[in-house]
Amino acid sequence: MSELRKIGYLFVRGFKQCIRPYAALMPEFVMPLFFFIVNSAAFQRAVQIPGFENTTYLQFYAPVALLTAIFISSGSTGIEVVTDISTGYMDRLFLAPIKRWYIVLAKLAAVGLKSALLTGLMMVLFLFFGASFEGGALGVVTVLLFAFVFAMGWAGVGLSLAFFTKNPRLVQSAFIFFFPFSFITTSQLPLNLLDGWYKTAVQLNPVTYILEGMRSVLLTGQLGATVGIGLLVALAFAVVTLSVSTYAFRKSVVRK
Amino acid sequence: MSTNAIEVTGLTKIYNNHFKAVDNVSFAVREGEFYGFLGPNGAGKSTTMRVLATLLTPTAGTITIAGYALGKQDDQIRRAIGFAMQGVTLDDMASAWENLMLIGTLYGLPKAEAKQRGSELLQLLNLEKVADSWVKNYSGGMKRRLDLAAVLMHHPRILFLDEPTEGLDPAARRVIWDYLRQLNARGTTMFLTTHFMQEADELCGRISIIDHGKIIVTDSPASLKAKVGGSLDDAFIHYTGHGIRDEDINLKAADPYVRS
Repeated sequence: MSELRKIGYLFVRGFKQCIRPYAALMPEFVMPLFFFIVNSAAFQRAVQIPGFENTTYLQFYAPVALLTAIFISSGSTGIEVVTDISTGYMDRLFLAPIKRWYIVLAKLAAVGLKSALLTGLMMVLFLFFGASFEGGALGVVTVLLFAFVFAMGWAGVGLSLAFFTKNPRLVQSAFIFFFPFSFITTSQLPLNLLDGWYKTAVQLNPVTYILEGMRSVLLTGQLGATVGIGLLVALAFAVVTLSVSTYAFRKSVVRK
Repeated sequence: MSTNAIEVTGLTKIYNNHFKAVDNVSFAVREGEFYGFLGPNGAGKSTTMRVLATLLTPTAGTITIAGYALGKQDDQIRRAIGFAMQGVTLDDMASAWENLMLIGTLYGLPKAEAKQRGSELLQLLNLEKVADSWVKNYSGGMKRRLDLAAVLMHHPRILFLDEPTEGLDPAARRVIWDYLRQLNARGTTMFLTTHFMQEADELCGRISIIDHGKIIVTDSPASLKAKVGGSLDDAFIHYTGHGIRDEDINLKAADPYVRS
């Protein structure tokens, strides 16, 4: 119980660290919303292209905007951790009689929660812009689960860089990975309308399956194979990045 | 149980397989003693402290802290010690209260006790009025006092102080000194490194001077001064030389997280 309380306090601290200063949350709202409004307006006639399923572009694009929210909200984790390292705060935590993996676990759970909350809030906002989500409460919970798991996975990329380099600028540069992972997907067009090397790249990108899973539950309300595959890929992505970050943590940060 | 709070035998720390920061150092600090560990920049003081505080692994040597063997009973050591590190190590986007409650919890204090201890320390260090403000808004002196409060949350028996008054004005320094004296009078063992010779002179009962990773001399401040016929500054210079030291003898070694 005492150990759970320690993890709980670290989790609360990690969550507060994620949301402070509050003004810094603004871009995390604005950017996905901006993409959602601009792209759904700019490409609204794209759904007339044969091959598009029976939907509006706004509906088609909503999960992409949600995914962007997840990317952005979890993308600052590395910076937060490298700040803890460079200010010596990580040492303060290391001096406590706790298992050191508590620190990482609590931080990741906090990031997952933050992204899930942001995703939920975005979904509410999108309703005001005319989006509708199939699947009811179970569908919403599924999307939040996607957000929680993928946020932890994406945070793992920043964490790995933070632990390996301990350099804020290098960690910040991890943002560049957002572009291929986010854009080389079915974010603009469905897979059947893509072709050539681009289609192959899209199929190789794990985020494509996560996006398709979210899109499937939001557009159809069905928790079918696409959703299951999406969740599995999100989980696998998290396992890989968190394994790397755990390795980096043990190799580079824990006392030597 | 040993009457020594700290026993160090043959401590050696080599960074990156080539830079010997601490070279076969042995010493003991008695329970309740106020012990000063002085030396020029890059002499090996902070490395020694970080090893003793379980933050670095020694390359060689046997170390006992509060009767516990370093490397085998590290959690017990962590419960027994407090370490005020060089610079302030607080979450500056959190309040003083949040900082103290987290630290208290991590050291296993029950909620009620953590609250009581937190209030007591904030009052003692004159921070209760700003307890709910974010630390980033504090002055340097307030941060240093809060850092000390965080270190003291779990009633450590041994306190490691790495330049605890660096950057403080004389009045703030006095406040810290007075409090450290009180703690020591109540039985807390003190291990201090500082570049303020006046601080060492005022507080320490015994001083070791380390240079190039080796202890050169250990004695009381009065004896050290008597030996050179001058101040503690004079004694320090007498034993370590006049040259300005580069802290970046090995920049990698200055990185506390560097792989050895």
